[in-house]
Amino acid sequence: MDELEILKKDWKKDDSRYPKLSYDDIYAMILKKSSSIVKWIFIISILEFVFWAVISFALKDADFNKKFESYNAQNIMIPFMVLGYLILAYFFYKFFMNYRTISVTDNAKRLMENILKTRRTVKQYVAFNLIYLVVSAFLVLGIEFNRDETMIATINKAAADGELFKFYALTILATTLVLAILIGLFLVFYYLIYGLLLKRLNSNYKELKKLEV
Amino acid sequence: MTKELEHNFVELLEQHQNIVHKVCRLYTNNQDAHNDLFQEVTIQLWKAYPKFRGESKFSTWMYRVSLNTAITLYRKSKRTIDTQDFDAFQFKITSESYDDTEEQQLKLLYNAVHQLNDIEKALVFLYLEDKNYNEISDTLGISEVNARVKMNRIKTKLKTILNP
Repeated sequence: MDELEILKKDWKKDDSRYPKLSYDDIYAMILKKSSSIVKWIFIISILEFVFWAVISFALKDADFNKKFESYNAQNIMIPFMVLGYLILAYFFYKFFMNYRTISVTDNAKRLMENILKTRRTVKQYVAFNLIYLVVSAFLVLGIEFNRDETMIATINKAAADGELFKFYALTILATTLVLAILIGLFLVFYYLIYGLLLKRLNSNYKELKKLEV
Repeated sequence: MTKELEHNFVELLEQHQNIVHKVCRLYTNNQDAHNDLFQEVTIQLWKAYPKFRGESKFSTWMYRVSLNTAITLYRKSKRTIDTQDFDAFQFKITSESYDDTEEQQLKLLYNAVHQLNDIEKALVFLYLEDKNYNEISDTLGISEVNARVKMNRIKTKLKTILNP
C-alpha cells in the first residue's frame, strides 16, 4: 500500500482527536480582528500614500520653496505638481479597485495574484515618487544654476578661477549622492517590510507557477 | 438580520469545525499555532460568509477558505516555530491502533508530510479528504493534469523522505 493510503486510513479513522470548540468559543472568535497579510498590506499601503502626500504638501510650504517662487519658475513647477497629484489619484483609484477584487473564495492562485497586484500598484507608486523626486531635484538644480543670484555669483567666481567644470561636477555629484542614499534607505525599508510580510506568499505563488511549466 | 446570520454561521462552523482543525494540523506544529490559525480561518470564513450563496456545500466552501488562509493570508505568529518536534496532540493515535510498529510508521509519515512545502501539503490535504483531481485543481487554480503530476511527485518525495 502506498504511504498516502496508510495515512488516509488513519486520517479518516477518528475525529475525536481534534479539539471540540463550543458555540461560544467560535462566537468569540468571529468578534476578533483579523491579522492577515492582506490587512497589513492595506494598512502599510495607505500609510505610503499618506506619507508621500504629506511630503509633497510639506515641501510646498517649506522655506526653500518660497525662495523658489522668486525665480519665476511657476510655469515649470505648477504643471509638474498638478501632474504629481493626478498621478497620485490614478494610483489610489487603481489600488482600491485591485483591493476590492481580493477574495478569499477565489482559487489559491488567483487570490495570490490579486494580492500581488495590489502590492505592485503601490510599488509602482513609490517608484514613481522616487523618480519624481530625482527629476524635481535636478530640475530645481537646473533652475538654480540659471536664476539663483548666489549660485550665479559662485558660478562666475568658479569660471574666473578656471574651475567651472569642477564646480558643476561636484554639485551634481553631491546631489546624486544624497539622492542615492535616500533611495537606498527606501529600498532597505521596503525589503524589510514587504520581504518579510510576503516571503511566504511569494514562495507559494512561485511553487504554483512552477506547476504550470 | 446580522444576529441570525451570526447564529447560522456559528452553528455551521461548529458542526464542520474538524475541517479547519485538520488544516491546522497539517500547517502548524504546536497547540498555540494551531489555535492561532484556527482563529484566523474563522475570521476569514465569517468575513466571506455573507457572500456564501449555497451554490456549493458549506464544507466545500470551507475547504477553499481554510486552505487559502493557511497558504496565503496567514502570517505565521512568532509563537510558530518550525520544528520537527510535535507535541502529543499531533500524534494522539487512537487506542485500537496501539500497535507499536503501526504507530511508529504513522508518526514517521506525519513527520514526512510536515516536511513538504505549503502547496504540497494542500494537495495532500485534499487527497486525504478524498477530493477528486477536478476539485483539487479547482481549489488551487492549477490544471487537473498538473495536479496529478504533482501528486505523483509528492508520493515519490514522501518515499525519499522516509527512505533516504
